[in-house]
Amino acid sequence: MARRPPLPTPSALKRRREHRSQRLLANRTVADALVSAAGLVGRPVRDRSGAEVGRLLDLVVRWRGEPYPPVTGLVVRVGRRRAFVPIDHVEEFSTERVTLSSTRLDLRDFERRAGEVVLNGDVVDHQLVDVDGVRVVRAADLYLARVGGEYRLVGVDVGFQTLLRRLGPPRWRRRPTPDRVIDWSAIQPFGTGAGTGPPGLMRLHTPNQALRRLRPGELADLLEELGRDERQELLAQLEKETAADALEEMEPDHLGALLRESNTEHAASLLAEMEPDEAVDALRDLEADEAAELLAAMPAAKADRLRALLLYREGSAGGVMTTNLVLVRPDQTVGQVRRILRSQAEHQADVDAVIIVDETGRLVHDIGLFELLVASKDDHVIDVAGPPEPVTVSPDASLDEVVERFIDSRGSSVLVIDDDERPVGRILADDLVDALVPDRGKVRFLRLLG
Amino acid sequence: MVRAIAIMAILGPGVIAASAGNDAGGIATYASAGSLFGYKTLFICVIVTAALVAVQEMAARVGAYSGEGLMSLVREQFSLRIGAFAVVCLLIANLGLVVAEFAGIGAALEIFGVSRYISVPMAAVGILAVVLFGTYRYAERVFLALSLVFLVYPVAMVLAQPDWAEVAKNAVWPHFVASQDFLLIAIALVGTTITPYMQLYQAAAVADRGIGPDEYREERIDAVFGALFAGFIFMSILIATAAAIGGSGPLTSAAEAAKALEPVAGAGAETLFAIGLLGASCLAAAVVPLSTAYGLAEAVGAERSVSRRLREAPLFLGLFTAQVVIGAGVALIPVNLIDLLLTTQILNGFITPVILFLLYILTNRPSVVGDAVSGPKMKVFTLICVFAVSMLAIVVLVTTVLGWFGLT
Repeated sequence: MARRPPLPTPSALKRRREHRSQRLLANRTVADALVSAAGLVGRPVRDRSGAEVGRLLDLVVRWRGEPYPPVTGLVVRVGRRRAFVPIDHVEEFSTERVTLSSTRLDLRDFERRAGEVVLNGDVVDHQLVDVDGVRVVRAADLYLARVGGEYRLVGVDVGFQTLLRRLGPPRWRRRPTPDRVIDWSAIQPFGTGAGTGPPGLMRLHTPNQALRRLRPGELADLLEELGRDERQELLAQLEKETAADALEEMEPDHLGALLRESNTEHAASLLAEMEPDEAVDALRDLEADEAAELLAAMPAAKADRLRALLLYREGSAGGVMTTNLVLVRPDQTVGQVRRILRSQAEHQADVDAVIIVDETGRLVHDIGLFELLVASKDDHVIDVAGPPEPVTVSPDASLDEVVERFIDSRGSSVLVIDDDERPVGRILADDLVDALVPDRGKVRFLRLLG
Repeated sequence: MVRAIAIMAILGPGVIAASAGNDAGGIATYASAGSLFGYKTLFICVIVTAALVAVQEMAARVGAYSGEGLMSLVREQFSLRIGAFAVVCLLIANLGLVVAEFAGIGAALEIFGVSRYISVPMAAVGILAVVLFGTYRYAERVFLALSLVFLVYPVAMVLAQPDWAEVAKNAVWPHFVASQDFLLIAIALVGTTITPYMQLYQAAAVADRGIGPDEYREERIDAVFGALFAGFIFMSILIATAAAIGGSGPLTSAAEAAKALEPVAGAGAETLFAIGLLGASCLAAAVVPLSTAYGLAEAVGAERSVSRRLREAPLFLGLFTAQVVIGAGVALIPVNLIDLLLTTQILNGFITPVILFLLYILTNRPSVVGDAVSGPKMKVFTLICVFAVSMLAIVVLVTTVLGWFGLT
């Protein structure tokens, strides 16, 4: 299991959020320049002479990964039709009025095109990810502003007050109440527009760059909170390695649900990418047939390794160990071993020592990384290794026994060897802690019922 | 045996949601129907069970395919206003129900000589502990165990020695009694059996449990079985009371039904009814506030989940706690506010049609349920159910309001 940097504390997150919401309200004039997307619905759209052409239904925005997507047009109800008015035919567009620049209106029926989003239909009231604050929000309103000659989507309101405002009389509805606004550049939206267009058309393929900055634990929290479609979409936007790291951090219940709802190939490839001990934990939580199906969809070598691990009883040494071992022969030099370690960098969190085995695969010694670091590179590893003798347990040993060995050895890990003294795994102190405290922070008396 | 265990593992939200509908108020209604009209309302129970199956299946399907609860979907797919209206009604109506459930717990244990001042606070603490400290999986097991308590009613039914031929005849052949009371009791049967919190809980719990389209086959069994089980139970209640005290007159509460059984069917029947009432009230006293909490948290867009800790879902779990505490508190104060709060049930008359029609529309939207939209036959059947139940709910609403002005 990987050791990861600590998550930001809630108070730190809160500071980040507050800082960001103040950014948008740096001065009062910004707030006055905002136009509420939800509030404009149903407002009359007039031509130059002031005659009413129709009523505003929605705003169309083009989403191509810009931090602040531009408004490309309006959807206006004219009679019984839903007409599209391009933004360059709009003269004034504010909280007070919407006026068109031309008197002659070319009534094209509104049709959704790829990469376009209608704000009230697709985004308002739907789930979004606030990447800065690392949380899932539901948009109460969206704010537009004129930036560099264009109307752009600049912020999303998540305040409760704004919900109340939208329930009130029309006069309240259109007045922006930006008290808890998130800058749009920090938002990861989802392509939830399948409702009115053909399915699949609206998928937004440009993930917010800030997603990359998130830690696995933070991504795990987001995945747990999102609805099913949104969760799958977020998962699809992550690199496979990142996704696997995030999955390792999820609560077992949520992880099980996520694996079940993903298609088998995808779930299997994510599991294969996870650290073996974490993948085995996840498989144990699934039904036997579901686990078998996932194993069958994996590369054979990977599946065999996981199957072998599954044979060990949960709550025994075999059930908590990692099988990422670095094995070397006694006559290899320290320089050679360092090269091997370099090639194992992806498993660094699981490797705190190198195991020396003889030609039959039996355990000879266990050398800590420190000893390897201070030795000269031409030394043979067997000469570098000194006392104490490696501390070992059998795969069937109980966790209590493992704890005792840890107390005796004062080391950071304990080796697991089979009856022929061949090393099969290693138990790291952090894995033991996880195994002993299964549900972080939850009272355990109800386990009786499980 | 293996089969039985496999089926038990599937059961969950569906059984809990449908069983919670047989709460203190429900038992009183079924017992009243039995004591007033004997077996004659049985055919209505059969129809209501069919409608319950249809409605709960729709709720489970929406939850499984969208991964979201009803209120989130209403806000996303319809409008914030409809969502807000439904949530406000639900909040008030459910609070009234919670009080009634705690009153039911107190009344049931008073039959055994336990003071309500001891039983009600203890029940409240127990319910809070299960939901606040357990994960959904543990809470669900406790709820399922409580649903098993309902099996006392079929036992009571057999003990009451009903005339089985008469039962069968009345269940398949419609009998009408030309009286206003018969109509009212028929409507009440529908109203107390199909209540919005059941659909809300069903959809939200399915989503919360992470049941997806792949597991929907199993979840469908759970939802359908749950509704059939609930139907079997309330028919048992009706038959038991019909056999023992049929034709005697109306009953005002479930505890009264238990007491009325004692001289006729023996102390055993009374005890069984009291145990059933206790289990039913405990289950509903947990499920009703949970459904409110799901509904409000979803509508506001706050995170929601039984499996989270208080710090992570303060609105959801805070609201749940507040309802249980208020419900238990009001049920205990000596001034009788219970009748007043029961009139809040009238609000269910507003939301039942809203929730059912939205549910019907949601199950026909490919953007919500994907390829699991209702087929043509299913569409007609569900529409009839939704329409009929909604009409009856509105009738209850109108007659109650007219009743306030002495017009009925």
